[in-house]
Amino acid sequence: MATTTNSLTLTSTDLFDDSLSISNTSTCYKAGTTIGLDQTTGLTRTYLTATTNIDIFPVVKDATNAAENGKVYIANLSEDVTEYVIVTIGDLVIGRLYAGDFMWMPWSPKAQHAQDIELSPSVATGMSVEFMAIHNFANIYPTGADS
Amino acid sequence: MAITAAITLTSGANDLVTDALALSTESSLTKATTTTALSNTTGLARKTTASTSQYTLLYADDFTADKAHKLYMKNTSTVAAEYFDVHVGSMKMGSLYAGDWALVPWSATDGTKEVFTITLSGTWAAADTLTFDGVTVNANTAHATTATILRATTYPNWTVTGADSNAIFTAKRARADQEIDADEWTIVDAGGSDAAISIATTTEGLHNASNILITPGQAANTIEYMLFYE
Repeated sequence: MATTTNSLTLTSTDLFDDSLSISNTSTCYKAGTTIGLDQTTGLTRTYLTATTNIDIFPVVKDATNAAENGKVYIANLSEDVTEYVIVTIGDLVIGRLYAGDFMWMPWSPKAQHAQDIELSPSVATGMSVEFMAIHNFANIYPTGADS
Repeated sequence: MAITAAITLTSGANDLVTDALALSTESSLTKATTTTALSNTTGLARKTTASTSQYTLLYADDFTADKAHKLYMKNTSTVAAEYFDVHVGSMKMGSLYAGDWALVPWSATDGTKEVFTITLSGTWAAADTLTFDGVTVNANTAHATTATILRATTYPNWTVTGADSNAIFTAKRARADQEIDADEWTIVDAGGSDAAISIATTTEGLHNASNILITPGQAANTIEYMLFYE
């Protein structure tokens, strides 16, 4: 069984009068089970030179069943604090990842194009981002257009 | 001030993929376009749901839009089948199962708050009353004085501004379902005269596009969440 562990720490010594220390570790499981997610897109690193939004994962073909689950990791590798990438799901903006920021979110794509995750860089001067999905979706890849 | 977030993703060789996965990223949670740390937080909140209805965790119009807010969420359940669906506005992002956590940026895209103006007309007596939003006020024979009373009144869902004979009501929340008209006001015309009002909507309300909502898979689930914001 594939076991992928994800951990988060959130710490601050000066946000409050008291220290903040949140620590979580969990395993990427198929929905409602203790069976590990067994597929991944792999960690992609790409250099974006346009502000056009891009789909970061292949088109999902109505891929949903009761046991499907997914996790998405995205990081903005820019070192320029003014640069950000807008993360959207479907046609709704989730938020902005500024230089050095990362995110980790659950993902349950359903219909084709309806919940695809897209990135829109704030600048066209070049920005590197990394992203990866860990999942057990069926038919995540689009049907080939070539005969 | 500094807030540090660190993530590690690990998997052994021949497990998720043939080689081991060991990803580690650390980030400082800073304000947009700066190296200054985010300085506000909602605090770590814990909510236990009582039904499978949808709950709003965070209202976008409580926060400035298009900043570098970060939202942490965790499903505290230890029962594998228990989950929350997490939505941004009308869009489901995914499901947080037992023990799962998430850290996401949040743009807090605002909607539009409904605005309307009430205008009094006719003859009002001191015993006349005006009821709206569950609040009743006594009118005055002078329209401007009644408008002043309305402006000084606290309403659960509206703030009131204006001047002279104007009372301008602005919704406290961006909503699309607040088409206010005169029928939603109750006038007690004790004097039996021709006390009347008119309502003019100046801004139509529109829902926040990106409220953070959860839908529990089971009635009694507990989620922890914390927003770091500008």
